[in-house]
Amino acid sequence: MHMLKYFINIFFLLCCIFSFSQENGKKQDTILKNKYGLRVGIDLFNPVNTFFNEERKGLELVGDYRISKKWYVAAELGYLENTTDEDFFNFTTNGSYLKAGADYNAYKNWLNMENAIYVGFRYGYSTFSQTLNSFTVNNDPFLDALATVEEGQKFENLNAQWAEIILGIKAEVFNNLYLGFSFSGKKMVSTKEPEGFKNLFVPGFNRVFLNDSGFGFNYTISYLIPLYKRDK
Amino acid sequence: MKKKLIFLTLFLLVLIALNSCERDDICIDEITPKLVITFYDKDDPATVKAVSNLSAKIFIGTEADSIPLFVTDTIVSVPLKVTEDNTQYILTIDSNNGALLKRDTLTVSYIRENVFVGRSCGFKTIFKNTTYQLDSNNWAENTETISQTIDNETDAHVKIFH
Repeated sequence: MHMLKYFINIFFLLCCIFSFSQENGKKQDTILKNKYGLRVGIDLFNPVNTFFNEERKGLELVGDYRISKKWYVAAELGYLENTTDEDFFNFTTNGSYLKAGADYNAYKNWLNMENAIYVGFRYGYSTFSQTLNSFTVNNDPFLDALATVEEGQKFENLNAQWAEIILGIKAEVFNNLYLGFSFSGKKMVSTKEPEGFKNLFVPGFNRVFLNDSGFGFNYTISYLIPLYKRDK
Repeated sequence: MKKKLIFLTLFLLVLIALNSCERDDICIDEITPKLVITFYDKDDPATVKAVSNLSAKIFIGTEADSIPLFVTDTIVSVPLKVTEDNTQYILTIDSNNGALLKRDTLTVSYIRENVFVGRSCGFKTIFKNTTYQLDSNNWAENTETISQTIDNETDAHVKIFH
């Protein structure tokens, strides 16, 4: 039975099948219960990404708390150091962030499984610094040979606030252990910009695109600390 | 176990896909402005007068390099150095005729200021408190500053009377 559950959950995670076709009318012989509790975990995207890309180092803790059958209060706390290399300059962003919001599980589980296909929203806040490592003045190509790399300049006490919408899935792969991944679309609400430079990267928001939007990807592993059970 | 491997592979593929995103913007904003020179008649200072076959050289270190420029016009634009507080040009007219050519040296001095433009363009330099000096008067008589600040190329910055 356990193997079967494991298999089904992995299948769920792999294929993301939006299957809402089960019949509801039948009464169950046993009373099925939902687990309620605090789920805590870490984001694996940054630790794994470090293997490919040494210019990005960070850690993010994730957590959610179930408040009803469908709703979870959720938050992420993270730290990120990221170097961005553009054609004419190179800068390092360093800072921490907090996101808080809620997730809504839109997936109807079969029997006593605890999987989720969810949509969520967050409000994010980040404080950080930008260090301009080097830059080349963009001059006429004729004088390109004279172009210069100048010394770094640090801009401190910067901050940003944004809103994001999340689409993700979580699957219980072992008892109380969850794997999940999610995509997020972000929109900047306000930023404190450095004087003479711009916040082109914000921790927790990632690259700030021209229209103040951003994208994110998370891959999380988390553990549910079950506190109580409630009837399904 | 096999399922785990498939999952891991899928995850790695997504990672690689995200890392190989192509850049989405190119520089279309104004970068470091060039110096725009207009030529006027020395005997009739209100009238523009074209230079014939003007060539320009710029000093890079102690060497003078030719700017790809060979014009007969009343207006010309030349790049300014962003690493030094002055740029020296050797301006030669009738440069296609060895017997007739005349050259003068124009030195432009300024204060530089670097301004951030954007992600794709990076930084540009604007020039303030510009002053102009002619070292000789072989063909160019004198100069008149139109604008002390060079921050765009839409208007001329200096007049040369000849």
